[in-house]
Amino acid sequence: MDIKDIKAIIDLMKKNSITEFELEEKDSKLRLKRGLNGTSQIAQSDDVVPMISAALPIVAQTVSVVPLAAPTGEIDIKSPMVGTLYRSPSPEAGHYVEIGTEVSPDTIVCIIEAMKVMNEIKAEVKGVVTQILIENGKPVEFGQPLFKVRPA
Amino acid sequence: MFEKVLVANRGEIAVRIIRACKELNIRTVAVYSEVDANSMHVQMADEAICIGNAASSESYLRIDRLISAAEIADVDAIHPGYGFLSENAHFAEVCESCNIRFIGPSPHAMNALGDKAVSRALAKKAGVETPPGSDGIVENEKDALAIAKRIGYPVMIKAVAGGGGRGMRSAHNDISLVKGYHTSRTEAEKAFGNSGVYIEKYIENPHHIEIQILGDNKGKIIHLGERDCSVQRRNQKLIEESPSPLLENKFRKLRDKIGKAAVRIAEAARYTNAGTVEFIVDDHGNFYFLEVNKRIQVEHPVTEEVTGIDLVRYQILLAMGEPLQHSQGDITFKGHAIECRINAEDPFDDFSPSPGRIEMYYQPGGRGVRMETHAYAGYTIPPTYDSMIGKLIVTGKDRREAIDRMNRALNEFLITGIKTTVSFQQAIMQDPNFRRGVYSTNFVEQLLGGARRELIEEKS
Repeated sequence: MDIKDIKAIIDLMKKNSITEFELEEKDSKLRLKRGLNGTSQIAQSDDVVPMISAALPIVAQTVSVVPLAAPTGEIDIKSPMVGTLYRSPSPEAGHYVEIGTEVSPDTIVCIIEAMKVMNEIKAEVKGVVTQILIENGKPVEFGQPLFKVRPA
Repeated sequence: MFEKVLVANRGEIAVRIIRACKELNIRTVAVYSEVDANSMHVQMADEAICIGNAASSESYLRIDRLISAAEIADVDAIHPGYGFLSENAHFAEVCESCNIRFIGPSPHAMNALGDKAVSRALAKKAGVETPPGSDGIVENEKDALAIAKRIGYPVMIKAVAGGGGRGMRSAHNDISLVKGYHTSRTEAEKAFGNSGVYIEKYIENPHHIEIQILGDNKGKIIHLGERDCSVQRRNQKLIEESPSPLLENKFRKLRDKIGKAAVRIAEAARYTNAGTVEFIVDDHGNFYFLEVNKRIQVEHPVTEEVTGIDLVRYQILLAMGEPLQHSQGDITFKGHAIECRINAEDPFDDFSPSPGRIEMYYQPGGRGVRMETHAYAGYTIPPTYDSMIGKLIVTGKDRREAIDRMNRALNEFLITGIKTTVSFQQAIMQDPNFRRGVYSTNFVEQLLGGARRELIEEKS
């Protein structure tokens, strides 16, 4: 279950005026609940301008994802800073990690450049890379998930 | 023309700045800590970048992350708001060296007004009186006692790097002076990273009168009148108004004098952009310079309402290098404006903070009513930051109408899920002394003292 799937479900909910949705999978449970203030049920006169509350993105409504992570569940390597991400030490070199790469806590997984300083980002976990969530040369923010790792 | 501005702040002021940018067709970038992901400023901005954990020291005060965010978003300028890094000369310098315009005074002006002791000296040079006191930092206990002897008790011990009403305490005799001197230094080191303190005479029944100034980069400086901020609790402002009832009722000629003094001080510092010069006025019409706030202030809307001038918009235009479009003679005042700060605090429980989820939220409206807030139904106020959730600004043709309208407006608030200070503001609006315009900075203490006494008598 990743953010793309959740977004798709949210869209479907909006389109079909569904207010609650619950899905339980093998290792995770998702429960989405919409508030009712985003609909057009309010009686409007001709010159009513849409209020900002009607246009609030889904982020203001209750969304909770409860990962029931078993010991073998994946964990995220998250960005500890704001900057531009690079997957290799230099443009000509190969990527630090790919899917399937084994990492240990001190393995460098990527570089984040901030204010002209290249910061080597360590895995901080032991395991195998299962997903790559970012693209080379793209900006990343604090806390942004970069890689998924299945801990060993 | 700026194409993109990063707002290095949060809450209601971030919303205010984003609105001003939108009206100038400038794209906005919000930064936020992890607990602010659902905050209004994040939702309003065109882009948003997470810069850290909840703690301000790990997010809104992280110069490196703010600059990183500014770079990846490729902004032209940063607006620092108030508090946080707004008066941090180092931050302003870093911005400039990274080719990012800092929307505020120049690093030079910030340094010229340096800490409070330095600006006191500058004011004296500009021919403005300061409360009698030490000439700079008090180095030791012996000096403190000597100064207090010279100027006479009671005195105020103030942190040179303090701000927002923090880092000050009074002393009424030698014993409390020595104790207060050492405690203040320790607290100041912890809170502001600078243990320097200075001593000033404590003016009895002081009225806090501040002057709004604007300066362009050609050296032209004007003032936009005064705000009376005497209604405070523990040195935190609760209510601000313009014009000051003290000046209106007793000292009409003082407005011009104080305004000119403010401009002289700003000129001595070669000040640019928006700022506020604070004064203490006593019951005899003597005024003393306190300090300069080198930023846009919380209560700026009060001045906007009586002058018709958009101060945040002006900040952005001045930062873009535009000259001041107004001369002193162009500034006129119309009507009376009052602002009530609304805090998430329980006035019946010694104003203890009341963070949490706002369940229902309806704010006042109608003619002459302006609400500046980031609150909304369903928003969870994080416990990590200050408790102010909004400002209610009301304008009337005169003070009487403004107070009546404020009463009417305060009554319209519907906020459930958290406690707020709305009821306390209502009590102030109905207080006969406030309504008469006769109050000084010990007003709230006296009001609470009376109320507390009634409660005690009720219980016994």
